[in-house]
Amino acid sequence: MADSKEIVKGEEVTLEIAPGMDILEVNRQLAQKNLQHLREHNVKAIDIMGSIGAGKTSLIEQLVQALKQKYRIAVFKGDLTTTIDAERIGRHGVKVLTINTGMECHLDANVVSKAVERISLQDIDLLIIENVGNLICPAEFPLGTEKRVVVVSVTEGPYMVLKHPFTFMTADVMVINKKDLAEIMKIDTEQLAKQAKDIKPNMKVAVTNALTGEGIQELIKALEL
Amino acid sequence: MHELAMTTQLVESVLEEAKKHDAKKVAEVHLTIGKLTFLGAEQMRFSYKILTEDTIMKDSKLVIKEQDGVIECPSCGYKGKVPIEDDPAYHVPIPTLRCPNCGEAAKIVEGKECTITSIRLLKQQECNNDCKRCC
Repeated sequence: MADSKEIVKGEEVTLEIAPGMDILEVNRQLAQKNLQHLREHNVKAIDIMGSIGAGKTSLIEQLVQALKQKYRIAVFKGDLTTTIDAERIGRHGVKVLTINTGMECHLDANVVSKAVERISLQDIDLLIIENVGNLICPAEFPLGTEKRVVVVSVTEGPYMVLKHPFTFMTADVMVINKKDLAEIMKIDTEQLAKQAKDIKPNMKVAVTNALTGEGIQELIKALEL
Repeated sequence: MHELAMTTQLVESVLEEAKKHDAKKVAEVHLTIGKLTFLGAEQMRFSYKILTEDTIMKDSKLVIKEQDGVIECPSCGYKGKVPIEDDPAYHVPIPTLRCPNCGEAAKIVEGKECTITSIRLLKQQECNNDCKRCC
């Protein structure tokens, strides 16, 4: 724990902790370590957040397909119980490691550092981490990646951004997925993008259809890959 | 959302401190929670009560202070509270990282914390009995 000043009054001790012990800071420091470790090995890491069904895995499949000639890729998949997604991504011929969280609602820097130990960083240049399908908790736990992506899909309704402003504050790139359904769902993707940029002025936005690959180049550009 | 996990860590840290100081009881824990976190004070109190049940922290008081979000702009140096965008088109006012001074993207400097600031420990059990056996 951080330095503490003891104030003793009879049998009572008050520990004044300065500057205080931040429980969330432990994760942030570990994330910073992960980032340094990955950079030392020239590995770029990307964290992909989004609700269940937003299209994270399909997007990763498209990214892997488009980038596997240029980069040696590994994918970490945060998943509560199954390996379904890992098998899907694995078919594209890249290394996939499933991080079964069991009951946790997010990945954290610690589980990522453990997973990094299990792969050979010399053999990869790009690490894509798919976070657990949840738009809230992952925002609180940076993993130590160069970029954080938040995926929303038009089928989730018009208020995804407004209802999760803090999540969008922590992201660098926003993907608006299932663009082919926008009209049917009566969603204005430009309005969603504007809302995200109002919260985070330097947010980059890509509008995609992860099933067809439309917009993937836009996303690759936004990720500076 | 993950109050239980965070409170578990909080309780473990406090118990560790209490052990170091040879305390018999923890009377009070002061915690600061940033308003830009997803931690709800009410759920933390609820988890705290359950998690401390069988420990020397049982019945201790959890005092929670909420910390406002503060941003700093790397472009113009502005530092202040997180601005609130009140565009009537949005129905709700939303917090923004847009610098109110120059419009560039600012960085969060406060409001993401979950910090233990002080702990009150008792070296002896508080005991109203006159038996002289326990203390």
